[in-house]
Amino acid sequence: MSVVSTEQAVGQVSLVDLLDRLLGTGVVLAGDVVISLAGVDLVEVRLNALITTVRADLARPRGARR
Amino acid sequence: MSPTARYVFAVARSLRAEDLADTVGFHDVPLDVVSHRGLSAVVCDVELAEFGEEALTKNLEDLAWLEWAARTHDGVVWRVAGLATCAPLRLVTVCSDDDSVRAKVDALHGDLEAVLDRVEGRKEWSLKVLAPAPVEREPVPAPSGASSGADYLRRKREAAGRRRELGEQALQAAEVLHRVASEHAVASRRLAPQDPRLTGRPEPMVLNGAYLVEADQHESFRAAVAAAAELRDDVSIELEGPWPPYSFAVLS
Repeated sequence: MSVVSTEQAVGQVSLVDLLDRLLGTGVVLAGDVVISLAGVDLVEVRLNALITTVRADLARPRGARR
Repeated sequence: MSPTARYVFAVARSLRAEDLADTVGFHDVPLDVVSHRGLSAVVCDVELAEFGEEALTKNLEDLAWLEWAARTHDGVVWRVAGLATCAPLRLVTVCSDDDSVRAKVDALHGDLEAVLDRVEGRKEWSLKVLAPAPVEREPVPAPSGASSGADYLRRKREAAGRRRELGEQALQAAEVLHRVASEHAVASRRLAPQDPRLTGRPEPMVLNGAYLVEADQHESFRAAVAAAAELRDDVSIELEGPWPPYSFAVLS
């Protein structure tokens, strides 16, 4: 068993964890400019963006990402 | 310069604008505080050429932009959360002007107060439980003759059984660890497990939990989860925090 336990400082939250929270669950105060991006649309966008780019990212050395 | 709008990072209680004087938003633009009925929305100017609906459709598909936006947003939220009780808003909440920000805060005033009551003095921890990485399927040699056919099927069944058993053990460990973590938290949520394609790790995630923990309970929370995890040699865990209470700022 391995335990990874870290005291976090700003900028140390992994991007995937951050997007889980910033796109998935934060207070939804629908702005009037991006109304059509509120809700499901954004989650779709994030997955498309992430999956395509993470694949490219895998080619990078391990230390370059979390 | 294209027309601008107001990007809203978070809504806080008892926040003084001067406390944010040294903090900037996107592109080093100074932050402003829009106050309304006792609540403060932390905002900054953004250009519609970058944050308008059309631009966002494109920008959100660009991982470098998305990461920059998420990190900038997160940096402001951390700063605000260090100063006051704060409900972080979702990424890319954009309003046309301050009146629009006030109208939104007004419409959601009761809900925002409830969210701030819930997260006051508390922070979020993340606990992930990972099952063992799937092992290469054991090479089960094809039957060379009629006599080994039954043997081949038996070994194939046994290998599948072992894989199933490991998966069930991991799920059970996830339940136990989630229960222990929840007992030391004031609230908990199970987020969707992250896809191995996103984590870049082969181990399947069986728990992606978020826990809201009282300010004076962080050490006991961490110790209790680590102690429970020590007893499970069938999974690995990642325990991270404390973070601003993102997962608990949802309007109910």
